[in-house]
Amino acid sequence: MILLIILLLPIVTGLFLLLLKNPATARIIALCSSIANLLITLGLISTVPSPSYSVNWNHFMGTQFSLGFDGISLIMLLLTNLLFPFIILSGFTRAHIKIPVLNFLILFTQSALIGVFLAQNAFLFYIFWELTLIPVYFILLLWGGENRKAITLKFFIYTLSGSLFLLFGIIYLFTLTPGMHTTDFSAFNQLHIPAATQTWLFWVLFVAFAIKMPVFPFHTWQPSTYTMASKQGVMILAGVLTKMGIYGALRFLFPIVPQGVLYWQNTVITLCLIGVIYASVIAFRQTNIKRLIAFSSMAHISLMAAAMFILNYYSIQGLLFQVISHGVTIVALFYVVHLIQERTGTLELPQMGGLKHVAPNLAILLLIIVLGSIALPLTAGFVGEFLIIAGLAKFSIWFAFLGGTTMILGAIYMLYAYQRIMLGDNNPTLIRVKDIRTLDFFILIPLITLILILGIYPQPIFNLVEESVKTMQNLLPVNEVVTLLTR
Amino acid sequence: MSALILLTVFGIIVLYLGFANNKTILAPVAITGLLITIFLSIKDWNLGSKYFHDMMIIDNFSIAFNVSMVIITILIFLFGVNYYKRMEHYVAEQYALMIFALTGAFLMTSFSNLIMLFLGIEILSIPLYILAGGKKTSFRSNEASFKYFLLGSFATAFFLFGIALVYGASATFYLPEIKTYIAQFNGQLPPMLMVGLLFILIGVSFKVAVAPFHFWSPDVYEGSPTLVTAFMATVVKTAGFAAFYRLLGMGLLPLPAPLEKTLWVMTMLSLLVGNLAALRQTNFKRLLAYSAIVNTGFMMLAMLSQHDSSASVLLYYTFVYSLATVPLFIIFIYMKRASSGLEELTIFRGLYKQKPWMAVFMTIFLMSLAGLPPTAGFLAKYRVFVLSISRGYLAISIFAIVMAIIGVYYYFYVLREAFSESDNPNPIEISRLNSALIVVCGVAVLLLGLFVWSVPI
Repeated sequence: MILLIILLLPIVTGLFLLLLKNPATARIIALCSSIANLLITLGLISTVPSPSYSVNWNHFMGTQFSLGFDGISLIMLLLTNLLFPFIILSGFTRAHIKIPVLNFLILFTQSALIGVFLAQNAFLFYIFWELTLIPVYFILLLWGGENRKAITLKFFIYTLSGSLFLLFGIIYLFTLTPGMHTTDFSAFNQLHIPAATQTWLFWVLFVAFAIKMPVFPFHTWQPSTYTMASKQGVMILAGVLTKMGIYGALRFLFPIVPQGVLYWQNTVITLCLIGVIYASVIAFRQTNIKRLIAFSSMAHISLMAAAMFILNYYSIQGLLFQVISHGVTIVALFYVVHLIQERTGTLELPQMGGLKHVAPNLAILLLIIVLGSIALPLTAGFVGEFLIIAGLAKFSIWFAFLGGTTMILGAIYMLYAYQRIMLGDNNPTLIRVKDIRTLDFFILIPLITLILILGIYPQPIFNLVEESVKTMQNLLPVNEVVTLLTR
Repeated sequence: MSALILLTVFGIIVLYLGFANNKTILAPVAITGLLITIFLSIKDWNLGSKYFHDMMIIDNFSIAFNVSMVIITILIFLFGVNYYKRMEHYVAEQYALMIFALTGAFLMTSFSNLIMLFLGIEILSIPLYILAGGKKTSFRSNEASFKYFLLGSFATAFFLFGIALVYGASATFYLPEIKTYIAQFNGQLPPMLMVGLLFILIGVSFKVAVAPFHFWSPDVYEGSPTLVTAFMATVVKTAGFAAFYRLLGMGLLPLPAPLEKTLWVMTMLSLLVGNLAALRQTNFKRLLAYSAIVNTGFMMLAMLSQHDSSASVLLYYTFVYSLATVPLFIIFIYMKRASSGLEELTIFRGLYKQKPWMAVFMTIFLMSLAGLPPTAGFLAKYRVFVLSISRGYLAISIFAIVMAIIGVYYYFYVLREAFSESDNPNPIEISRLNSALIVVCGVAVLLLGLFVWSVPI
């Protein structure tokens, strides 16, 4: 029942907001609802046994409306509910008439995301998976920047096309289930699909997740969409939506098509590492900060995707840790970028410089976030990426070397960008820029604290996921693998 | 049977009420008639009655399809109240002709004899030829009517010729007997029978506008008065598919291999041609015409993946498709009015600004057509894919999925026009009744998608 509450609370609040006329109250109610959700989620961590909820939805199609969670879902749930209060809070700047609608869409997204992470049934998962797309599409379409009509449509169709292949995969698995067909994950996990089928089914399922993450070469929707998206839009996209791809892959690929995973393991890791290098190199050349961060985010996510496919204990733990750390960091980064844009009126690096003279507080905060993003020790980013690269090294030293370049290249372009924004002589055009306000402190200080705390004491997150990671490892049929590879 | 008789009687009553020169009573009378028809139809549920020496069998299949068609017709009539009030001309005929067409549709869902099917198709078509030309002064409307009539009679000729050939070979018009006759050949059919069956299938394909027999539909849809277009796109299509399914299910399945291959090719062609042409359309009615062709392809897919639940899926698909299409046409009528008679996609601009709720419901309908959850359209497509994948048609299913993706492009193209910020200079006025109906349809599309998944027939 408690799961139903966290699932429905945001959307119900959102619908209520539509009836309100006063934008200011709408924001406050939205914020309260998201904070309530966060508190309930924190309560879930310590609840034993973990609650679940299930009603028969449609017996005829073998669909249960069943919610539940394990460690991996919990991480995702925690991230979603942690970030949404900040995302809503970041909209507390100017009051305009459409705020109830915007907050409705944001809360709608939150509900759909929670649904994705809680669903224990593939059909239900798919419904929520698609449902996230609708409000995000409208957030981008109605509040986006330049050329948004074309870009949103591309984003929508690109991500949807992946999803439809996923749908094909789900239906195919549904027809394979014995007896009365069902789409429950528990039934899917017990399927023994022939290895030959798994090799093609892997791609049918993986494409949707690869597009969402995005993994090279399925990333082409991402930079333009991020650049065009509004503040809150890009925070949702980069902070949480990308993690859906990772979650989906963990939920579908490893338990259901393990042999397919092993068969394509090297290919996918190679693609991911190409993505890492490619995105980092392109990030160098960007003059638009948002685009630069978009590519840097892609590099980090690609590394996480690579970690997923190495399938050892360290890398998966690192990956799940990095889910939280990347989400928090990227949201903070994009928030600051938008602050800078609001202050200076530009996103182009060449037109900036010397901002620290007029906005010293902003300069300090951004520095910490940048350091977190380039994985400096004692920040959260370090813990995650260290584990991932340790995992890569166990798998292959070359992969570790290539993966490690994210840290080096990331440091170079991020610090270079920082230098061009903040340092340098006093820029006469930016003389009127104001330093940050109280609201910005409310958003940035907690996020930065989180980055630091997780960097210094990461153990709680590991405790959360440990059991799930072990179960996942046990899923892999090691003996079958050997025969598959030697054949 | 009583339902069919009552429907005819009400058609005639409405026609004669035209003399009363009182437009306001027409719609209530017609709708009452339809409601009673629904009631009488449902009373026959599970009876499986046979009439006219078994030429007509009213079973659950036909009742379910009949009721679904009557509901959509009621919807069109309710929407039409305002539409026809503005027309100065004779309105009684419009209602009466649609009711007559509906009687034809009833025959098409319950025949078990080829002659009965022929009668049904003709009774359905002839009122439509007239309705298509409803706007007497409009050049396009006349063209539509004439084109529909010429091509329609051409297809009918094929159909009749096919019946004659099949009769020549098998000496019977009854579908079950034809079935046993075909079965004895073990797939090696004599040429006369083969050609006969092919011609029959061509005739029916023309009615449901499967590619490559779809060329009439965009022109006719565009030229006809919009409500008639809505009627053609929904009720007529449903009737056509019910007949098609009955023809195959009762008589011709399993089809001989060449014919089955032909039908598969036609299915894929409908999906492909409809989609590619729809991408290039700037006229909304033509766009929906091509979208109808694409949906025809999906219905064919459901039908050809023969399974116990094919009929139920087909019913669900046609009904859900109709439920989204009719209100879209209505919104289109209002937008057209607000932009002085234009029919381009751009007329939807500014809908969100002026009528945000209308835009939201339009989103629901377009999402349903595009097959996105949580609408009923998603579930309809889902069930079609479950059918085709469980039957092992994987390649065709993948092809259909790619086609569904392309479809999203043009539906969302319309949608983003509705949500664009450029304003429509004229006020968009939607009457109370119609707003309420649109809301009802939208809620129905959502609720069907969440809770009602099938009707056992």
